[in-house]
Amino acid sequence: MELEDIVIEGSHKNFFTPSVSFNAKTGICELSGESFLEDTADFYKPLVDWLVEFTTKIKKPIAFLIKLTYFNTSTSRCILDLLNVLKDYEDEGGEVTVNWHYDENDSDMQEDIEDYMIDTGLEITMIPF
Amino acid sequence: MEKKNNKYDFSLFDSHNLLNQNILVSYKGPIDERIMTVIGDNIVLVANDTNDKARTKIFKVFMELAQNVWLYSSETCKLENGKSVGMGSLVIGEFGNYYTFVTGNVVKNADIVPVIDKCEMINSLDRESLREYRREQRRLAQSGKPNSGNIGLIQVALTAESPLDIELTPVNDDESFFSIAVKISKNCTKK
Repeated sequence: MELEDIVIEGSHKNFFTPSVSFNAKTGICELSGESFLEDTADFYKPLVDWLVEFTTKIKKPIAFLIKLTYFNTSTSRCILDLLNVLKDYEDEGGEVTVNWHYDENDSDMQEDIEDYMIDTGLEITMIPF
Repeated sequence: MEKKNNKYDFSLFDSHNLLNQNILVSYKGPIDERIMTVIGDNIVLVANDTNDKARTKIFKVFMELAQNVWLYSSETCKLENGKSVGMGSLVIGEFGNYYTFVTGNVVKNADIVPVIDKCEMINSLDRESLREYRREQRRLAQSGKPNSGNIGLIQVALTAESPLDIELTPVNDDESFFSIAVKISKNCTKK
């Protein structure tokens, strides 16, 4: 069965839902906006599963792009899960690039990204905006 | 029952005066996602005497500390959908070149000791060790579970760049009022 794209439109209502666009054909995966969710695990598990599926069956190059302006601490663990899948893929020979866009005024976000690099061993290109 | 002369048995004027002119925002009541969004979206409006860095920090600290009240207050309120949410208080004050952010809620004495230990440990660490501690706690966390108790407080200390000023006041034999205050400098200059 073909891996279906994931497209979720972000919202900023009572909770903050990030925008998601995971494209199976191009291998371009984007996660942007804000993440403060009612059930964080419910939201992120399908994204992690999708990446596992892509990296074990489709095995094409993957370009992962993060542009989150805010995420809460439950989300921070789920981001680690996503990055760990990418690191595993890279270790097995997969082609992975990770670009993380962040507000240049947000020095805490900059530290967060650095910490994810230390934690996962992935190289993340940090792009201030 | 003794009849009171006043319509209410407390004075809102006294309460207003207690919250002196340094207080920018004060809220007491249930905290759920709706309250958090409304306050969170508008909290930066009161912090107009500062830069974007400090505003971002105020928002992030608010989101973490308010979630703690919501999830961990032992005083709860049942909503129309049957869910229980925590009750607590929130105050933002402005003192010279920094903002002070305080949240407080009632806790069971039996539950609070590990939280106090955690705060003391956080306060004893320098920034690099605190970042290392956050990475360690994040690795140990269960995916997607609210982990404010473990990572949230570390996050608050890192974001505010200030120690967690905690206070515990007994309210009865089993419960106490627990508050956490942090300072956020108006002139954050880090990096």
